[in-house]
Amino acid sequence: MTAPTPEVLALLAATLDAVVIIDDRGRILAFNASAEEMFGYRASDAIGRNVSMLMTSTDRAAHDGYLKNYLAGGDANVLRRGRDVLVRHRDGSEFSVFLSVDRLPGTSPPQFVGFLHDTSLRRKALATLEMERHVNRLYLDLAQVMLVATDRAGLVQLVNQRATRVLRKQGPEIVGSNWIDNCVAPEDRATARTAFRALLMSGSDEPQISEYRVRSAEGEDRFITWRGVALRDRENVATGIMLSGEDITDQRRAESEAHKALERMNSVSRLATMGEMAAGISHELNQPLAAIANYAQACARLLRMPAADIPEITGALEQIANQALRAGEIIRRIRSLVRNEDVRRESQDINELIRDVHGLLASDARVHDGRLALDLAMQLPRVMVDGVQIQQVLMNLVHNAFEAQGPVHDGATFEVRIATRLTDTADVEVSVNDLGPGLAGEVEQKIFEPFFTTKASGTGLGLAISRSIIKAHDARLGYRANQPRGACFYFVLPAHQETTP
Amino acid sequence: MKDMPQTVFVVDDDDAVRNSLRMLLKSAGVHAEVSASAQEFLSTYQASQPGCLVLDVRMPGMSGLEMQHELNLRGATIPVIFITGHGDIPMAVEAMQHGAFDFLQKPFRDQDLLDRVQRALTRDADYRARLRHTDRIRERLASLSPREREVLELVTQGKANKMVAGDLGVSQRTVEIHRAHVMQKMEAGSLAELVRMMMAVAS
Repeated sequence: MTAPTPEVLALLAATLDAVVIIDDRGRILAFNASAEEMFGYRASDAIGRNVSMLMTSTDRAAHDGYLKNYLAGGDANVLRRGRDVLVRHRDGSEFSVFLSVDRLPGTSPPQFVGFLHDTSLRRKALATLEMERHVNRLYLDLAQVMLVATDRAGLVQLVNQRATRVLRKQGPEIVGSNWIDNCVAPEDRATARTAFRALLMSGSDEPQISEYRVRSAEGEDRFITWRGVALRDRENVATGIMLSGEDITDQRRAESEAHKALERMNSVSRLATMGEMAAGISHELNQPLAAIANYAQACARLLRMPAADIPEITGALEQIANQALRAGEIIRRIRSLVRNEDVRRESQDINELIRDVHGLLASDARVHDGRLALDLAMQLPRVMVDGVQIQQVLMNLVHNAFEAQGPVHDGATFEVRIATRLTDTADVEVSVNDLGPGLAGEVEQKIFEPFFTTKASGTGLGLAISRSIIKAHDARLGYRANQPRGACFYFVLPAHQETTP
Repeated sequence: MKDMPQTVFVVDDDDAVRNSLRMLLKSAGVHAEVSASAQEFLSTYQASQPGCLVLDVRMPGMSGLEMQHELNLRGATIPVIFITGHGDIPMAVEAMQHGAFDFLQKPFRDQDLLDRVQRALTRDADYRARLRHTDRIRERLASLSPREREVLELVTQGKANKMVAGDLGVSQRTVEIHRAHVMQKMEAGSLAELVRMMMAVAS
């Protein structure tokens, strides 16, 4: 076995056609780069082996015979004349090439060189297909959405990287398994099945939208909006479905945070409005009251004088009447304002309402160097209330409690406690307790009167409004002394009997 | 000047409150003048007019607090009693810090108002009297010769004639003569009175 000269090898390397040189016994002596590419063998693997390895089974058996026949001086026509033959790739696939064979001049025993030109284009097509697959795979993996394809039975055929990341599973763990049983959150499987059946049965190519949660391998649920289409064969029979899913969990959370923030803003602004309204009302109302007091007191003085100026006193009395009417008009305006408040009563968990408002009140507590404690009973029945209004009442009561403490001595902190408990009648009592001075007897009588206040900056409306809110909930805002000391404002909300449809 | 009558100036934008206040003050024998706005009052008020001011905090245009500020800028010393329809602690604190005389929430007992008005008028009168008193002391001081002024300074520091003579390098007799002139010109009956006069003008 004589190896080709370096010149020959260089020539072979530069040839675009596949070139294979064999000896008189069919053993491969040279195998150029194009041949490597065409057949999938490395030159080092091919050299020394019989060339029949490149042939189809039918040719393989016959080839040695052809060779012997030629060497025996037989038909030399087989040489030089090119022809189409089927050959075999390393992976077993067969393809056709244009082959021409010649005897290398000056070789003895003779060596033969074969030139193979790929005519089938099959490899090219396969390469293109391979490339397309690769690109498609890239498309799938680049997609920001989850992509899942299943067959008719719901077995996963394909998932992209995004889907594997959301599900925290490897592709092979998902592919071949049942999509709904393995990846969809148990609570949403019925929804997912309905959507799946609807897709298979739909005759349209319009994507159908559905929304259900998937559960990751770590047990985390993610909200996904799905766009699905049915995959169809040539007879237009649905063979499976393709889903693209957008993970809207973060968006959902953001929305619900924004919603909560808005609710808080609302209740805060409503409270602020209540404060402003109260300030406005008390100013408005105090004007006519001041005038009435002034006129009346002036009249009393004038009447005590020896020569009372009757016309002047009469004028003042008329003014008193006018101002009293003016005050009444102001009160009517307030009442209509309060009536216009739309009450939205819903079944609520009172403890949840209290916890919600706790955050808002924490800053109030800090301002007063105090602490707001919660003492909430478990397993309370739900109550039918306007949550925002009840929170307003709580804010008002807690605010009062902190105000009631007076100045803090020797850095002691002041605690206000919101408590809930089940009453003997199985209703829900909510109380706001402080450890301040409590209420003096005479104050206790007046505490719920509108415009009554013990605070220099008080409007005297907070408790009155709170009481009317509680009254609108078929309950009563009450006061009792807190034990061992301090004040306790409480109200009892009727338990809401859930009606089963 | 001394006989100029004291006036209670009422500034409130509410007709009923304003007019009822005038009537109440009048029934108690107090002379009152009313204005419907801060601007109206400021356009006519002279700082030399004795009396006191009953001022509504919340008014459209210039508020009571803004008007108080304006009065302070003008050097007006008239005592201000604020009245408000809505007790507001921060506002009251601000008013008091800027020299408000008192603070009253509407509606009020007539006696509460009249007592405060009376105290405000007394303070205004006292202040004006003190002002007149110190003006007179300053006039008398101006009539002293430089040497008499020196003697006055040393004497009111508690120095005896002998020490003053030593300080000034003159005879004790000369000091006695100057001192007699000082007492005469200052219209002081005693050293103690002279010291009080000097304290009154020192502030």
